[in-house]
Amino acid sequence: MGSRGRPPRPAAPRPPALPALLPVLAALAAGAAEARATSEGQLPGAAAMGTGTPPSPSGTAFEETRLHVFTLDYPHVQIPFEITLWILLASLAKIGFHLYHKLPSIVPESCLLILVGLLLGGIIFGAEEKSPPVMNSDVFFLYLLPPIVLDAGYFMPTRLFFENFGTIFWYAVVGTLWNAIGIGISLYGICQISAFGLTDITLLQNLLFGSLISAVDPVAVLAVFENIHVNEQLYILVFGESLLNDAITVVLYNLFKSFCQMRTIKVIDIFAGIANFFIVGIGGVLIGILLGFVAAFTTRFTHKIRVIEPLFVFLYSYLSYITAEMFHLSGIMAITACAMTMNKYVEENVSQKSYTTIKYFMKMLSSVSETLIFIFMGVSTVGKNHEWNWAFVSFTLLFCLIWRALGVFVLTQIINVFRTIPLTFKDQFIIAYGGLRGAICFSLVFLLPPAVFPRKKLFITAVIVVIFFTVFIQGITIRPLVEFLDVKRSNKKQPAVSEEIYNRFFDHVKTGIEDVCGHWGHNFWRDKFKKFDNKYLRRLLIRENQPKSSIVSLYKKLEIKHAIEMAESGMISKVPSSVSLSDYHEGKIKPLSPTEMENMREILTKNLYQIRHRTMSYNRHSLAADAGEKQAKEILIRRRHSLRESLRKTNSLSRERPVLAVSAAFC
Amino acid sequence: MGVPRVPAPVTSLLALAVTSEQIEHLHRRFKQLSQDQLTIRKENFDSIPDLEFNPIRGKIVHAFFDKRNLRQESDGLADEINFEDFLTIMSYFRPIEMNMDEEQLDRFRKEKLKFLFHMYDSDHDGKITLQEYRNVVEELLSGNPHLEKESARSIADGAMMEAASICVGQMGPDQVYEGITFEDFLKMWQGIDIETKMHVRFLNVDTIAHCY
Repeated sequence: MGSRGRPPRPAAPRPPALPALLPVLAALAAGAAEARATSEGQLPGAAAMGTGTPPSPSGTAFEETRLHVFTLDYPHVQIPFEITLWILLASLAKIGFHLYHKLPSIVPESCLLILVGLLLGGIIFGAEEKSPPVMNSDVFFLYLLPPIVLDAGYFMPTRLFFENFGTIFWYAVVGTLWNAIGIGISLYGICQISAFGLTDITLLQNLLFGSLISAVDPVAVLAVFENIHVNEQLYILVFGESLLNDAITVVLYNLFKSFCQMRTIKVIDIFAGIANFFIVGIGGVLIGILLGFVAAFTTRFTHKIRVIEPLFVFLYSYLSYITAEMFHLSGIMAITACAMTMNKYVEENVSQKSYTTIKYFMKMLSSVSETLIFIFMGVSTVGKNHEWNWAFVSFTLLFCLIWRALGVFVLTQIINVFRTIPLTFKDQFIIAYGGLRGAICFSLVFLLPPAVFPRKKLFITAVIVVIFFTVFIQGITIRPLVEFLDVKRSNKKQPAVSEEIYNRFFDHVKTGIEDVCGHWGHNFWRDKFKKFDNKYLRRLLIRENQPKSSIVSLYKKLEIKHAIEMAESGMISKVPSSVSLSDYHEGKIKPLSPTEMENMREILTKNLYQIRHRTMSYNRHSLAADAGEKQAKEILIRRRHSLRESLRKTNSLSRERPVLAVSAAFC
Repeated sequence: MGVPRVPAPVTSLLALAVTSEQIEHLHRRFKQLSQDQLTIRKENFDSIPDLEFNPIRGKIVHAFFDKRNLRQESDGLADEINFEDFLTIMSYFRPIEMNMDEEQLDRFRKEKLKFLFHMYDSDHDGKITLQEYRNVVEELLSGNPHLEKESARSIADGAMMEAASICVGQMGPDQVYEGITFEDFLKMWQGIDIETKMHVRFLNVDTIAHCY
């Protein structure tokens, strides 16, 4: 992240002729290295294979080069070539894991990817006898991290998030502070013991180290939690914490880093640090919300050019991230806020196809990013960047675990007083155990200026050990632990119309009772926001603004979908042709005649159906559409069956009989 | 207001596990609503401003006077309720405690669901028929002026079909599904944690939100 300061270029082997954009990819494979070596001495574009004579420096006019039938020009395409190869390798690795179908359920993908990275790093190290280039922090923070956070923020269940917001905020801010200071001070205590040879590490350095290692990492959390399907409440607590703690991590990191470089520290600096926290956090969120609204407003006018609608979503969210980074605010919070804001309104404005495109593309990007991050972590581990010190490393690990557990326990006791649903010990254990560290602390430690931190290599080693421990040991064991402790899992049932009705009914009951009691609860604020939303925001940001109940829109979308299916399957040739794909394209259905509507409805009501799953279940690598498609097929089969039945009985595709049957059933 | 005069029968309500502090708060609120009378009538609920916007306002008010909710043996509607009845209704919304065992939790859950069931079942016959369901959906969607009655009806029909399939399974074309009984209702809410969601923290009664 830009807020961490310009990274000092890590020692990376780079051929001098190439631009320094992505040095990490420069050492892709031994083969690439060889190709480079041969082409190094040649003028770019003129590398010849075989027997071409190189143009002589004196340029005598008589010695011409013959026409080359076949040329190899690697430097010309080197960078895109290597990027493509990396991404391809990452994706092939993923395919490989899933071939053995039991593997992903035992070992989370992140572990396997790190192993692949280690293997690759080992190969490169062995082939070139020098350390492979470490993951460039710029590449990580500017290109690899945003898609993951965007994906998570876009599909975050907002309602649950805001219901638990206080708790999440409490864990993120106070918890991270607690961890950072606790780890820093206890490590300093250890360093004071001269037997370990660590006395040259100052208190401030320890505090800085504590602050960068206490950050729970959203990438790692997502990677591990998506397989274990804990209930949404727990998931949102851990994941929300990992997102929100970015603000405090940024502030602490910069604070302690500048303190390390300053000679004297005044009280005013501490206050500046606190003020900085508020600015970083709130500023990031504001930028996100602002750009989210702009994005929603833009999509209001895109109905003529549906094709580029998805682009706006990605552009605006990425813009919010890098704008926040430009001001040294929290980019993660900005992009999360932007995604959450945008989601509501954009979904109504864009066409169905654009919506699907956005979903798929987002998932694809985030999947690729995550894979690349873990592989790079593996690759960067191998090499000569390490300094091993038993005491420091083991105590770091120990303190991380102890302070995390203590922190969660103490903080939960306090926050349980304010929560309506108190957190049980099981929940606390999972929250503490799910505090995984990942690529963010990895990149942060590489950004430390070596001039100020002579023992930087020691820090790197310690961070790597902690990350590996949390990702491997905790990542692998969390699933059996969840089962052993019998933690409540998420129920992945698809919501049906009746459930939506019940939920809505229930909300109103609760709001009503709260009104009677005079209690301003969550529902009160949510209601107020909804009124404000309906009155101003929706009118501004949504194109055809009809205040829609979600029950109705669910039902209508389903009707449309089924009408299309039926028309496509050729069963009902009398389905009004107005309900055809071209109309649906424009998002409008021409009004059907009442009898046709009635007929369609009766047929639909005769059968079972389930509504398209609107909120995502927490599986980042597959979309719920799979279930929807299976269901659509099932519905079609059932309908064919029942219509065949009625055909048999009446010898004609008459609609009177089904109508009678239904009305008889209910009178 | 001085020392709140909590009526004597309330002590039996401590068995309902509403703390005395909560009782005090609710008593204050009761006095506000009843304008210092001993009982509340339906008209008193009109004075709550925010309740106006609630689409199922009628059902909520009705629930307060429903004798089945008041744990009285008879059926039908009461004309007025006193503080004890008010507390009885409120006790349906108390939060779960950490130390409840399985059986208590189950009973708790059933009670809450019975409350909701009574709200659906307006004619008190123990079944939610299609007409009652349609009624509920229409009320729910009544806040939306753009909606035709047709849609509400068909949504209710669809939901009823789903209920039928969950409770009875595959139905032949001539089978009649009469209505959702309480057992069926329980089945449908199985996935949802009603015991954790259905509570109101009436400790923080804010007396600013008073009635006119």
